[in-house]
Amino acid sequence: MNFELGEEHIALRRLVRDFAEKEVAPIAAEVDASGQFPEGVVTKLGELGLLGLPFPEEYGGGGADELSYAILLEELARVDCGLGLSVEAHISLGGSPLNRWGTPEQKRRWLIPLAQGRMMGSIGLTEPEAGSDLGGISTTAALDGDEWVINGNKCFITNAGAGSHGLVNVLTVTGQREDGRKEYSIIIVPRGTPGYEVSEPRQKLGLHSSDTRDLSFTDCRVPRENLLGERGAGYRQALAVLDEGRFGIAALGVGLSQACLELSLQYARERKQFGKPLFDFQVIQFKLADIAINVELARLITYKAAVLCQEGKPYTKEAAMAKVFASEVAVRAAEEGVQIHGGYGYMSECPLSRFYRDAKLLTIGEGTSEVQRMVIARHLP
Amino acid sequence: MNMIVCVKQVPDPEAPPASFQVDAASGRMVIAPSVNPVISPFDEQAVEAALRLKDAHGGKITVLSLGKDAVPHVIKKPLAMGADELILLQDDALEGGDSWSTAFALAHAIKKIGQYDLIFCGRQAADWDAGQVGSGIAELLGVPSVTLARKVEVSDGKAVVERVVPDGYEVVEVSLPALITVSNELGEPRYPTLRGIMATKKIEPIVWTAADLGVEASQCGVAGRRTRLLKLFKPVKEGRCQLIQADSPAEAGEKLALKLREAKLL
Repeated sequence: MNFELGEEHIALRRLVRDFAEKEVAPIAAEVDASGQFPEGVVTKLGELGLLGLPFPEEYGGGGADELSYAILLEELARVDCGLGLSVEAHISLGGSPLNRWGTPEQKRRWLIPLAQGRMMGSIGLTEPEAGSDLGGISTTAALDGDEWVINGNKCFITNAGAGSHGLVNVLTVTGQREDGRKEYSIIIVPRGTPGYEVSEPRQKLGLHSSDTRDLSFTDCRVPRENLLGERGAGYRQALAVLDEGRFGIAALGVGLSQACLELSLQYARERKQFGKPLFDFQVIQFKLADIAINVELARLITYKAAVLCQEGKPYTKEAAMAKVFASEVAVRAAEEGVQIHGGYGYMSECPLSRFYRDAKLLTIGEGTSEVQRMVIARHLP
Repeated sequence: MNMIVCVKQVPDPEAPPASFQVDAASGRMVIAPSVNPVISPFDEQAVEAALRLKDAHGGKITVLSLGKDAVPHVIKKPLAMGADELILLQDDALEGGDSWSTAFALAHAIKKIGQYDLIFCGRQAADWDAGQVGSGIAELLGVPSVTLARKVEVSDGKAVVERVVPDGYEVVEVSLPALITVSNELGEPRYPTLRGIMATKKIEPIVWTAADLGVEASQCGVAGRRTRLLKLFKPVKEGRCQLIQADSPAEAGEKLALKLREAKLL
């Protein structure tokens, strides 16, 4: 067993940390307050090749492994979890399905601009009546000649309106199987297709810099060749996408928790009460030690899931463990971080208050903690 | 066009000052383990200057660095930014040198490389801030040097350099080959790209020893020093705060300006 990161992993962490501290940190509070998607920063991430990080070089990607991907997300979330989520959704949910199941033509047409950051990617799974119970979706796609005709609604879709161009991989019901159950398929719909409307951005508790909207499809027609992979494979594809997304969310949790630890540690050393630094009080030391333990463990299981994935081994259970653990660690680290900061931590100008609001989504999005525990239980020997 | 950039790995100068302590008895710096090694920032700007010329005219950039403690992901950063080749001078005999012996070793390495039109160095290294090595290399090679560049352009076998002076800049023309030291006014160095990082992983640096350079151990490193450090200490700084009392902000500003002029700060 070897816990050493490779030379390229350390260089990548340096690059992303440098970038995040120089380009993202100065605007993080501002985009949190305005809810503006930071398109300029995202364009620069694309120019550095980071938005296509795990994809093959022939499709504009960086050809890096899943551990590199976890490091990218961790370092972005350490500064702005909203940006981290945008990048996670763009890569795991927008680009990755195309990379896995797209035809060479689909990849040339869409994966290349996604990898270069000229287009933002997203996935349309959740509906008003179907969240954790994905099978309950009711958006339909029917073949009419050489076109799919899509009807239905999706909600809480990350990146749906982000940037100037985008596409969504939409999970639809495309018919009925022989055993009477629904047949699901994923269809690629570029933004701007007639009949495809996106709502105004949804107002959220946190993660304000990420773009979240509802989608509606009204007799929206796309060519037959926009089907992703096989007809009827949609449900299995969606679960596979969520598997991969899980350690992405876990990595965001690790980065956010790391930020809470660093900021709280610094504050505890500087802030004096009763004549000595907060850090000299054992009750504060214990809080910081607990955050540090949890960050370290969250990082280990997240990296383990990433390494299993890149080695082609089963990783569903570990990814679910990483997701549930790292996201719950993030919520606690942010809460204790605010507590250590006291009144200052509750003020909007303190980054801890932003991390506190941002952390909660991590236990919900891409599979709630409860669903993760169901997945883990199912995989117990 | 063939360009050579000399870079040095140093402890991160942005680390908190408390991470740097002086051991007065041995006359050495004691650096906290938490301080990351980085390429000296001025040297990164020297790499950037070379990359800008490569962008405009094409060419090859060879990065040259002396020091056996070079960390791969640090010292390879210029490659990930777009440089082509990395040569490391690694030998116990080359360690512990002063500006003279460092310039001596680097100049011999540059002679061994042979072909070059421009040599770039940072204006000074961020650890000792001596600022001698660049000019020293030029002297040893017998090529002209221009220090403190903020902009470099090349045409017709000449370089036109904007050189920083206290109240602006002067424009200097120099024939090639030449050595140019680069100042921070050149602007931010570019980030490495992901593609650069991935490609760099496969590049093995070329390693040369003192013997490869054809220099005697007595000429370089500690043995080749021409200077001796007499005393290393942290200067004691005293801070005193004086509050300016006034009835209006305008009056306070005026009083402050007068005080600053009195102290010869304006």
